[in-house]
Amino acid sequence: MSEVPPSIELRGVAKDYAPGRPEQVHALADIDLQLPPGTFVSVEGPSGCGKTTLLNLLGLLDVPTRGEVRWDDRPVQGLRERERSRHRLRNVGFIFQRFYLVPTMTARENVELPMRAARRPTADRRPRAATLLASVGLAHRSDAFPHELSGGEEQRVAIARALANDPGLLLADEPTGELDRANTEGVLDLLAGVQRERPLTLVLVTHNPLVAARANRHLTMSDGRIVSDRTGPEA
Amino acid sequence: MSRWMRRWRSLRHHRLQSALAVAAIASAVALPVVLISVGGGVASHEIDQLEHSGYQVAVASPGLHGVESAHALALRIDAIPGVAAASPILSAAVDAFPARGGTSPVLAEGIVPNAFAATEGPEEQGLFPHPLPFSDPSDTGLYDNGTYAGSSPREVMVASPFADAYGVSVGDPLVLAPTSNGSGGQAFTVVGTFGTPPSTIGPTAAFAIVLPLAELQLLTGLATAPGPAGGVIDAADTVQVALSGAGATDPAAIASVARSIAALVPYYGVSELSDQAAQLRASTSILTGFYLALSSVGLTVGLVFLAIVLVRRVESDRRVIGIRRAIGAPASSIAFEWLRTSTLLSGTGAAAGIVGGVAIVLYLARFGAGAAATAARLALFDPWLLGEIALAVVGLGALTSLAATRSALRVSLAETLR
Repeated sequence: MSEVPPSIELRGVAKDYAPGRPEQVHALADIDLQLPPGTFVSVEGPSGCGKTTLLNLLGLLDVPTRGEVRWDDRPVQGLRERERSRHRLRNVGFIFQRFYLVPTMTARENVELPMRAARRPTADRRPRAATLLASVGLAHRSDAFPHELSGGEEQRVAIARALANDPGLLLADEPTGELDRANTEGVLDLLAGVQRERPLTLVLVTHNPLVAARANRHLTMSDGRIVSDRTGPEA
Repeated sequence: MSRWMRRWRSLRHHRLQSALAVAAIASAVALPVVLISVGGGVASHEIDQLEHSGYQVAVASPGLHGVESAHALALRIDAIPGVAAASPILSAAVDAFPARGGTSPVLAEGIVPNAFAATEGPEEQGLFPHPLPFSDPSDTGLYDNGTYAGSSPREVMVASPFADAYGVSVGDPLVLAPTSNGSGGQAFTVVGTFGTPPSTIGPTAAFAIVLPLAELQLLTGLATAPGPAGGVIDAADTVQVALSGAGATDPAAIASVARSIAALVPYYGVSELSDQAAQLRASTSILTGFYLALSSVGLTVGLVFLAIVLVRRVESDRRVIGIRRAIGAPASSIAFEWLRTSTLLSGTGAAAGIVGGVAIVLYLARFGAGAAATAARLALFDPWLLGEIALAVVGLGALTSLAATRSALRVSLAETLR
């Protein structure tokens, strides 16, 4: 539960899949990136350019083949899996394109999931889940299962879940990729509101220029490299 | 909503797999429940019979009809202090030819009526009339001090099922022969009937007759050796000895009488019924272990099936596992999820198996026929043993979750969430 968003830095990071084998893939190469606390960054680029891999490395879901990932100036790529899990639990929130809610849990239980993993007491997590669902406009749907929700509602539950443990870093991988225009606007307003209201760094991968336009820093990737890094609002 | 309920909901999500896993475990558990409850019940019944017999010591010799000079031996045993009665018994298969036609092999028991009545247990007392309707209660008339030259009243009692089956009534003639040659048999008069106890060994006791020992010895050639100069055999299978008064329940008194009899006939086996009951208990324990070992094969198959279902479930739940791990759920939390799943499935299977096994036994007892139904009616359900079986199954089921946990913790997050 972060009070202040982390400062995150990638130094000479590369990621290869199946290294040393004929089917080896160079997903990322020589990435140098600094994310000051509280920034809203969009990452654009064609499919397969390494956007999701970059997100996985930032969120400690994966480890680089080479280079350093530093959080608040401390290297974290060498942490053991248990420590990385704990780090993710306390500091990172994930929003996925396909929502990835647990199908056998209600909306409330999905939101409670990270808090249960963090062993927060029931008396604490119940009202917290209710508050989060209310903040995404789904207080009345807390007992609904994912298959009973619309795509927009599912993504809003996923956002509430990502915020459950007050993360300092929110990673969103094409969060509006499966939504219509109205729901896309709704989710973007929600994310922008979240970013204004609480101190967190938001990294958002998207193909959609309208979505990217909400960010104040814009990365463009191609063939595993960052080819453009611009700051400021975009039209 | 408890974690267990969430797991149950997850299992309902995969109904067919869950149902098959539960069915595999249940069928593996039902088998030992049936075997142990019926086997234990029958053994317990037999032990109870032994412990409530009307006699406490048995004299026997290896082989059929191995006790010789039975009448005389019974008298010598009678003379031992503390002995109330010594009852020689000879069992032999003979053919019976009822007056209304037909032939039936029957189990004939030769007894000394007075001595037999004195060694009857509570159950036999309810089955036989009192006094026994034989005109020579001491069986000394025909025996005539080993000459077998005395008068022969030719009296026999028949089991009620036999009497019913062949329309035999008291006062009717009944020809008995040691072979299937009815013309070589001897005509007896039916002087009474007796009931038969529930038996797990089929209709043998239902087709039985009882007659004086000397009569049966003569009929079967076990009175004297063949030939004009043949000596007296006076054969029996056992001599059942009842102690008098408080001695009947005093282990020291029983042991003392057994030692005295052994001193009289050191070449015969002398056993206390309490020893026989202990031996039966020991053999019952061995049988129970054997049933469990036999059932472990089925249980192993069931548990392997459960492990396969769990590993298969990991494959289909890769995304959910990935989500949970991406969120930061610790490995122990993932492991406990699979432990809970395994425990729920194996516990449900064990409960279903126990209920199913009990239901099978109750069904057999109520609607079955023959020896199976009789055995089922004697079944005993030991809640502690059933609980231990269930606990063992749940424990082994928990072990099977290890394979699934290992697979779950090896799920690649980057791949599952792509």
